[in-house]
Amino acid sequence: MTVTEQEITDYVARVRAALADLPPNRRDELTEDLPDHLAEVAAEADGTLVERLGEPEAYAAELRAAAGAPASTRNLDQRVAATVVRFRRRLRAVDTRLGPPLGYETASDFLRLLRPGWWVLRGYLAAMLVTVVSTGGSFGLLPRFGGELLAGLIMLVAFVLASIWLGRRSARLTRWPRAALQIGSAVLVVFAFAALMQAEDRMRYDEYGYDPTAVNNPYDRIRDVFVYDSEGRLVENARLFDQNGDPIRLGYPDCADPAEVYGKPLLRAYPYCPDQAPFGPRAPGAPGATTTPSTTPTPEPTATPSPAPTATPTTPPTVTPTSTPSGEPTPTVTG
Amino acid sequence: MDTTQLLKGVLDLAVLAVLREEDGYGYDILRRLREAGLEEVGDASVYGTLRRLFAAGLLTTYVVPSESGPHRKYYSLNAAGRDQLTRSGKLWRSFATTMDSLLDDRGMAA
Repeated sequence: MTVTEQEITDYVARVRAALADLPPNRRDELTEDLPDHLAEVAAEADGTLVERLGEPEAYAAELRAAAGAPASTRNLDQRVAATVVRFRRRLRAVDTRLGPPLGYETASDFLRLLRPGWWVLRGYLAAMLVTVVSTGGSFGLLPRFGGELLAGLIMLVAFVLASIWLGRRSARLTRWPRAALQIGSAVLVVFAFAALMQAEDRMRYDEYGYDPTAVNNPYDRIRDVFVYDSEGRLVENARLFDQNGDPIRLGYPDCADPAEVYGKPLLRAYPYCPDQAPFGPRAPGAPGATTTPSTTPTPEPTATPSPAPTATPTTPPTVTPTSTPSGEPTPTVTG
Repeated sequence: MDTTQLLKGVLDLAVLAVLREEDGYGYDILRRLREAGLEEVGDASVYGTLRRLFAAGLLTTYVVPSESGPHRKYYSLNAAGRDQLTRSGKLWRSFATTMDSLLDDRGMAA
């Protein structure tokens, strides 16, 4: 006989492992005679059991089919149990597969190292939860107890120490305290996510305010818009529209509107503040403008090099001066 | 369709038939089935079928000690087993006749 007892024992063990999802009594019924049977087989011919019978797993599959023990004959409890077993096995496989990329044998080896860090974080989260409850919703990054920072910090230290103490002893806890601890931890995780979401919302709100425009908008710095016509005159009560007929809203009024359109500051026409026009003078009837850039085709006779045909210098001419300056006043917007 | 597929349905009957004349132990039954022409039958199938027929109360077992090798567990038909063999045998014959005539009608019989 070339097959040893040990080989038979190993073979049977692997067959039984492959039938692990069957109810224990069913599995025993199928395999109780297997060692004797394999001994008979071993006595009949040469070669190892695997050579003669194939891999134990294949043998188990054939045995399962022949013995009429398909998965469907199992009741719900056993199916749930089998699913749990399968899930655990898959989890273990993932665990082992993820380990090496992290530099550890299994991923859980790595995660176990992070446990003390989680204990500290859990203490902090508990302190923050008390902060939110005791201050009625508003919170920052540091815990406060009823608005008191010092009390909050003392509470933080106490909670972190308590959390570490609990973490080191969680393995020795009995069933119910441990379940309570796990539920508490789960609550803190949910709370942490909710708090992070709220903090995220708040930060985005602070960053962009009411402005719905995108980041890096080149028009962010615009406060007002000044439109000049081809004569270089400031156009008042101008309205801008895009290709769809939607009003273009730029800037915001920071001076009083003479028309006083209450509640709709963005619907005001441009410019909001004509007094702050970068190029003067303003439209006809404003001779007192002082800031006159050289490029402005100003009709003031004193500043015009061309021979003015009119005798009355105070009346603004309606035609362009003959010597047109090279630069048209660009309707620049300034901020 | 290969023989393995056909075997699934009739292995019970084949094992019962093999045991009709003479009791046998697991490996012996497998050898007899193979000698009769069912070469694809596997050891696990025979072992599993024996366990199932035994659990269904169609077989009885007894152990025969052996001086040279391991003890052998012999299987034998009991009354219920013989009854089952008769009924399954009749069913098989009528089924086989139906299949034969079906194939004959279409001129496919070998």
